[in-house]
Amino acid sequence: MILYIGRRLLGVIGVLIAIAAVTFTIFYVLPSDPAAAACGKSCSAERLAAIRAHMGLDQPLWRQFGDFVTGIFTGRTMGSGQYTLHCHFPCLGYSYDNSEPVWNLLMDRLPVSASLALGAAVLWLLLGLTAGVVAALRKDTLTDRVLMVGAVAAASLPVYFTSMMLIYGLIRTAGLLPYPEYVALSRDPLHWASNLLLPWTALAILYAAMYARQSRSSMIETMAEPYIRTARAKGLPRRTVVVKHGLRAGMTPILTIFGMDLGGLLAGAVITESIFGLPGIGRLFYGALAGGDQPVIMGVTLLAAAFIVIANLVVDLLYAVIDPRVRY
Amino acid sequence: MNKRTCTALATVVVAALALGTAGCSAQKSRSGGHGPAGAGAGAVIGGTPQRGGTLTVLSGQDFTHLDPARNWVMSDMDFGTRLLYRTLVTYQAGPGAEGGRLVPDLATDLGTPANGARTWTFHLKEGVKYEDGTPVTAQDIKYNVERSFSPDLPGGADYAARYLAGAEGYQGPAQGKHLDSIKTPDDHTIVFELRKPFAEFPNATVMPTFAPVPKSQDKGPRYDNRPFSSGPYRIESYARGKKLVLVRNEHWDAKTDQVRKAYPDKLVVLMGLKPNEIDDRMIAAQGADASAVPWYALRPESAAKVLPKAEVRGRMLSESTNCTDMVQMHTGRAPFDQVKVRQAVQYALDRDTILTASGGPAFNDLSTAYMPATLFGGKQPDTLKIPAGGDVAKAKELLKEAGKPDGFSTRMTVSVGDKGRAEAIQESLAKAGIKVTIETVDPSAFYATIGDTKNRTDMVYTGWCPDYPSGSTFLPFVFDGRYIKEKGNSGNHSLFRDQAVMKRMDEIAAMTDAKQANAAWQELDGQILAKAPAVPVLVRRWPLVLGTNIAGAYGQTSFGGQLDYASVGLKDPSKARD
Amino acid sequence: MSVHQPALAAATVGASPWRLARRELGRRASVRLSLVVVALFAVMAAGAPLLTRLSGWGPDEFDKSAVDPYLGGQPVGPLGGISAEHWLGVEPVTGRDLFARTVHGAQVSLLIALTATAMVVIAGTAAGIAAGYFGGRVDAVLSRLMDLTMSFPSLIFMIAMMSVAKDVNRILLMTAVIGLFGWPGVARIVRGQTLSLKHREYVDAARVGGSGPWRILTRDILPGVSGPVIAYTTLVIPGMIATEAALSYLGVGVRPPTPSWGQMIAESVSFYDTDPMYFVIPSSCLFLTVLAFTLLGDALRDVLDPRSGRQ
Repeated sequence: MILYIGRRLLGVIGVLIAIAAVTFTIFYVLPSDPAAAACGKSCSAERLAAIRAHMGLDQPLWRQFGDFVTGIFTGRTMGSGQYTLHCHFPCLGYSYDNSEPVWNLLMDRLPVSASLALGAAVLWLLLGLTAGVVAALRKDTLTDRVLMVGAVAAASLPVYFTSMMLIYGLIRTAGLLPYPEYVALSRDPLHWASNLLLPWTALAILYAAMYARQSRSSMIETMAEPYIRTARAKGLPRRTVVVKHGLRAGMTPILTIFGMDLGGLLAGAVITESIFGLPGIGRLFYGALAGGDQPVIMGVTLLAAAFIVIANLVVDLLYAVIDPRVRY
Repeated sequence: MNKRTCTALATVVVAALALGTAGCSAQKSRSGGHGPAGAGAGAVIGGTPQRGGTLTVLSGQDFTHLDPARNWVMSDMDFGTRLLYRTLVTYQAGPGAEGGRLVPDLATDLGTPANGARTWTFHLKEGVKYEDGTPVTAQDIKYNVERSFSPDLPGGADYAARYLAGAEGYQGPAQGKHLDSIKTPDDHTIVFELRKPFAEFPNATVMPTFAPVPKSQDKGPRYDNRPFSSGPYRIESYARGKKLVLVRNEHWDAKTDQVRKAYPDKLVVLMGLKPNEIDDRMIAAQGADASAVPWYALRPESAAKVLPKAEVRGRMLSESTNCTDMVQMHTGRAPFDQVKVRQAVQYALDRDTILTASGGPAFNDLSTAYMPATLFGGKQPDTLKIPAGGDVAKAKELLKEAGKPDGFSTRMTVSVGDKGRAEAIQESLAKAGIKVTIETVDPSAFYATIGDTKNRTDMVYTGWCPDYPSGSTFLPFVFDGRYIKEKGNSGNHSLFRDQAVMKRMDEIAAMTDAKQANAAWQELDGQILAKAPAVPVLVRRWPLVLGTNIAGAYGQTSFGGQLDYASVGLKDPSKARD
Repeated sequence: MSVHQPALAAATVGASPWRLARRELGRRASVRLSLVVVALFAVMAAGAPLLTRLSGWGPDEFDKSAVDPYLGGQPVGPLGGISAEHWLGVEPVTGRDLFARTVHGAQVSLLIALTATAMVVIAGTAAGIAAGYFGGRVDAVLSRLMDLTMSFPSLIFMIAMMSVAKDVNRILLMTAVIGLFGWPGVARIVRGQTLSLKHREYVDAARVGGSGPWRILTRDILPGVSGPVIAYTTLVIPGMIATEAALSYLGVGVRPPTPSWGQMIAESVSFYDTDPMYFVIPSSCLFLTVLAFTLLGDALRDVLDPRSGRQ
């Protein structure tokens, strides 16, 4: 088991370096010039050259990449002249726009994105699994049909449409909720939740359908298995049979999807964050794009990839916990 | 009278009278009366404010730079120099033309020229202090001018680089290198040596480059996140992209400052809000939003929610930005090297449609000259008399004369925010047979993209704002061929190189009589217009819908119509305490 | 030895499920409805130029008389300016005809989504068959590549690529970028299916019969995997449409004045309360198309690949 985890972790690092290399090449080969963007509206050629040198953009590509990767593990010192900037481990570079180490920016925004993703995940699991189990138990009835078509329809709505409708209905017209303004969980849990309620709902509507469909088919299948019949014959209450035996066995595929979805969302839901004005990683990324802030773009891409890879790893390990047949 | 001419006429009337009632019955019957759109030029909203309370600013984005060495964006300069740091000279706090008047700030007067305006001396007031109580010195101003040369701190105004003697190749105060052309004989005297005469130098010292930064506080690029205050407020907290909180600087002395009123006790800037959310909140002005102001101008899309409501309209400022939007054509390349082709564009452009795309006559004025109205004493002349809706027939005729009866294809670069305007240009030029492909570029990369004269498109849509009310900060920047740079070109995006025009510019620059120079610039504007290197399209306004509890609010003409943060405050501070 | 035998086997394996499938599908109301919607939009997209000629307004033509410049360019008339002249009303500010923009938008959106899907399916099937059939090193390399591709934060990466790339055909680029990240999904399914088909008797028979790998792949394996691939393809399409819309929504999509549904929704969000029709029309088109393809794909999967949903 430990050996397996070690091997997988090495794989994770390899994948991340590969992703960094691809991202790096694309952004530094394509015609975009952060030095010129920083230089402003009136920029002489000499000044441009000086700024480029300061940013390290005059170095060959492989060298820049090498510095970047070493920086992640050892930290690095950047800048020129009197303004040397120390960028500690894990150094993902300095943001041109925010004059902060990218790592600090990411960690500053992560709680927002994580709150959004985790809260939405809880909501969609609740909605999705309930709908799926109910539909499965009432297979081929009207309830089943309505739930399933409803789920697909909800998932087909573009997230910006749902979001705007929620804003219009609940904030603008009914005045039930305030415009979302992120409040840290540690500061005021109630406000944290009430401010995030709409974004959670918008995301959950989008994702729940998948879980409803998946859990429905898993349930139908497992409920037909002989061991369930045995459990029922033993006289176990229906609830126990459904939750303990039925759901648990059907969890594996759901867990796989869940890992991918959550991993992808943790590093920021670009559209949802920008619609609700939440200062998460997605917004940071979007702002960095408009500002040509390459270190931030790199940082967000890497962090997002790391979340996906790690989520997959965790899911694989969890299989063993859920399904006793799986061994490593 | 058909609908089209009716609209055109109404537009011209509105533009001319600066928001007079549009005299067009067909328009009125269709959509109700459209009177003045908010308080226009020179109006103050809300009377005199009371001291105290918290003023909230709703913003979509973070500031570009608050570091005084790097701050060169109109609104940001307003915010920085009105609240956080003082400069040698600044603009008077007042509505309309008063806002264009220079007044001494850190200095005791507007500076003393010597040596044919090559040497400028300023004396500093006594008793001006930083937020920690230490006095502001002449050396600190020198230090900030020097650090604006550092490649670590790009983005700031380049007047120092353009005029100071011995500034070529200077890269900031790293390794103890200093500029000999700035002398500080004592703590309260600063002397600038220029490499050419510059009679308007005091105008340049309004730039944040001429604010003090003590060397001990300088943290290089990270100073941007925590500028050290010499103004009435200091930074309590600044979470980039999220929230900035300003509280009173107890060491600021109102007696040394004739400009800043500093009414509120606290300012909170909320960033990262959705633009449409800001508009909706300001229109509703409910609860805490009554004591809020928007940072950015109202979006044209929200006009329909504001204009029909008299109450909301009464809370709206709409000062001119004083920037002329232009379609600039690459005069050095075919087909725009032919004056007839450029004139065809002049005639084909349907400025009415572009105006609508830009929010309509309430938010913009049509432009018939290059320099904005302030440089013409209030009203632009219309020397060409081209109808606002364009004249396609005449344009086609001109194209035929130029040997392009079937038109041609070309490309135009615009900033993302100008996409709507660009599509209107695209559509109206297509009617004359000119097919335009639009290249949208992010605002941050826009100037770098169009400044690359070799690789840029033949057309660009861009504006120019005079840095201060003088023709010398407009025409030479936009039409002097000697300013053209192969990379990092700015202003003269038509790459216009005309010997007669350049000769005349030098003559005017040498004039000592300001009035005579003014008239000469105005005349030259018309002469250049006839050669059509660029088409002036419109001058935008800066519409701001304010909260109901806001007082002392007006658009500052020298800061592009942005709210003057020197004098804004609250009617009733007790409604906005937290 | 009979060369016809494997082909015949494949044909019987293929033929009867197809007929069964059609019968099964025809019974479902959701399928029939979805087919109607898909057909409607397909016709709209294909016949866009013709339809706009019929309606009298091109997608890029401004109509100054249809908007009120004194109200920030609001359409004149109720319901976003719906009239005999403008069937679905007009775009605020420009007065461009919404009907024309919607049908041309359908063309762009569907073109991008379908081309990207085709790319994904072809690349994914090829990679999946190769990995499953040849196994060994080929499988190892391809599987690593799949893992790597799936680890990419695809939306973030797509946005970044679209926003830095200039001077290229946006529609082509967008198709390529969207397609780039989709293939491992297909490849995995095909690989699994291939693995299970590889040692079926008829494939072994063909191998013994001297068929080369190319022949076996195209003649025996490909027909065997086609069912799940078709079902999966139908389910990929709505994702592609939504991705295109999301990219255009974020402002990194098609170049103006080209309409696409995502671009239209992005522009109309600002007007959602002042001119709701403008927001509702492209949103419902997007919704209906995504819904129809999803329902269709679900049904196809149930019928053609009964096991995939519940492994």
